[in-house]
Amino acid sequence: MNANRRTFLKMVGLATAGSALPWFLARGAASPRVVVIGGGFGGATMAKYLRHWGGNLDVILVDRNAEHYSCILSNLVITSAIPVERIMLGYSNLQSRHGVVFAQGEAVAVDPSARRVTVRVGSDAHEVPYDKLVLAPGVDFIAPGGDYDANLTPHAWVAGPQTLLLKRMLSGMSANRTFLLTIPPAPYRCPPGPYERACAVAEYLQRRKPGAKIIVLDANPGIIAEPRNFGNAFRNLYQNVLTYVPNAPVSSVDSAARTVTTPVGTFRGDVVNIIPVHRAGQIVTAAGLVNDPSGRWALVNPLTYASTVHPDIHILGDSQGTGQPKSGHMANAQAKVCADAIIRAFNGLPPDPSPVTSSACYSPITSSKAAWLTASYQYDPDSGAMRRVEASFGESAVPTSDGAQQMFQWADNIFADSFG
Amino acid sequence: MKIITSPASGSIIARTPRRFLVASLLVAAAGAGVLLIAASPGPVSPSGRLLASQCFQCHGTDGRAVSGFESIAGKSADDMYHSLLEMSLRRPENIMDMQARAYTPAQLRQIAEYLSTLPEAD
Repeated sequence: MNANRRTFLKMVGLATAGSALPWFLARGAASPRVVVIGGGFGGATMAKYLRHWGGNLDVILVDRNAEHYSCILSNLVITSAIPVERIMLGYSNLQSRHGVVFAQGEAVAVDPSARRVTVRVGSDAHEVPYDKLVLAPGVDFIAPGGDYDANLTPHAWVAGPQTLLLKRMLSGMSANRTFLLTIPPAPYRCPPGPYERACAVAEYLQRRKPGAKIIVLDANPGIIAEPRNFGNAFRNLYQNVLTYVPNAPVSSVDSAARTVTTPVGTFRGDVVNIIPVHRAGQIVTAAGLVNDPSGRWALVNPLTYASTVHPDIHILGDSQGTGQPKSGHMANAQAKVCADAIIRAFNGLPPDPSPVTSSACYSPITSSKAAWLTASYQYDPDSGAMRRVEASFGESAVPTSDGAQQMFQWADNIFADSFG
Repeated sequence: MKIITSPASGSIIARTPRRFLVASLLVAAAGAGVLLIAASPGPVSPSGRLLASQCFQCHGTDGRAVSGFESIAGKSADDMYHSLLEMSLRRPENIMDMQARAYTPAQLRQIAEYLSTLPEAD
């Protein structure tokens, strides 16, 4: 929010004590209001483009944290290749350049009929009215059976404190020890991500922890993203340190004992990195919007990302159930489709009938070489679904050093397009 | 505290004497029967803008990259269209050859036309 708008709000009395809403949540203009819950790639892009394309829309972005830690590049923080500051993204540009109102708080409930979302800020709960609500909370995890504790066996699949916890565990690991990584069944956030982590950790162990090993327990029947590049790396580069076990879903965990039980055996690690099964973010479940056959995701109209349960609530990114990959790049892509559709709706226009969403990413295979993966999706009017364009889908022939350079450039640009 | 409902948006605002100005604005907007967004001249959603925005993750918001990748704003629409079309047809070697295949020729034309209208990077 710029200074003039803030001053205006104060002038009209919306900042005064005793108001039901603090100044940053109070309705400040005659513009339609969009409240965006979740300030990751989807939510940040949504808030930015609503203002960038939609003029003086009243846009409030809510996140429980004061800044966002990007999952993109976070595997390189775990191996100490880059500092954690490299993945820290703030909300100040969204406020100062784009006039988004940022509120640090947690959305805890939605009243769709009254079009109000309850946001807890500190110890206060505020009923915030909206015209459109956008939920982009990322994922929630389904705790594995047994005695599971994410503080003892971290996932590091939401970047931030968990990333730093796993980094400390890895750097503190003794030589000749074992790092155990479990990959959940698809769909999960960032299809290549666990294989990328396996490569990053394997190279780190080769260089820094003589005699140490990594065991990868994959719930899936094989490498589900970039099978050529990750397969080659597993079989060749990391053959002496990495054991890959497919069809090994986690049936139970004992975090204190650092053991994982699967149908193919029980494994013990000295550092155990359990990435649990995913489902839609908690607020999506709380709002009653999870309605796909798996019982984990929220169905939406892919022309607008409107929930099929409540049309004034839109769901972006990891929590939605269109079958598109769950990633920061994809969440950014969907946010633009959603922002355009909401702006059109406020102006009495139908959504764009043929949107395309595009996904691209770079995966480090070694500390100096990266591979790329890309896929794009076109709306298919016959099925009402986003359909992958097969000719656009594929991975690079080999990892290259140019790819490693482009990986950081890609990250810089998507960070700026979402948060800048 | 009394609350009133804006007929324009159905949303609820707090009403106190000092906030009457806001209420008046809402009622005025409702009276006009529109929720037009004042600060966006031109079409609500220009042709090609949404498609072109899928380029911005790598090539920067409005086609102005912040790092590494080529800025794509303000170029000749014909040149851009022919480059994209060539990428989509040649043997795929790099990531853009794959990306260009995501779109129909008509969509590539819309993207090129829209990008050409954006101010070129400094």
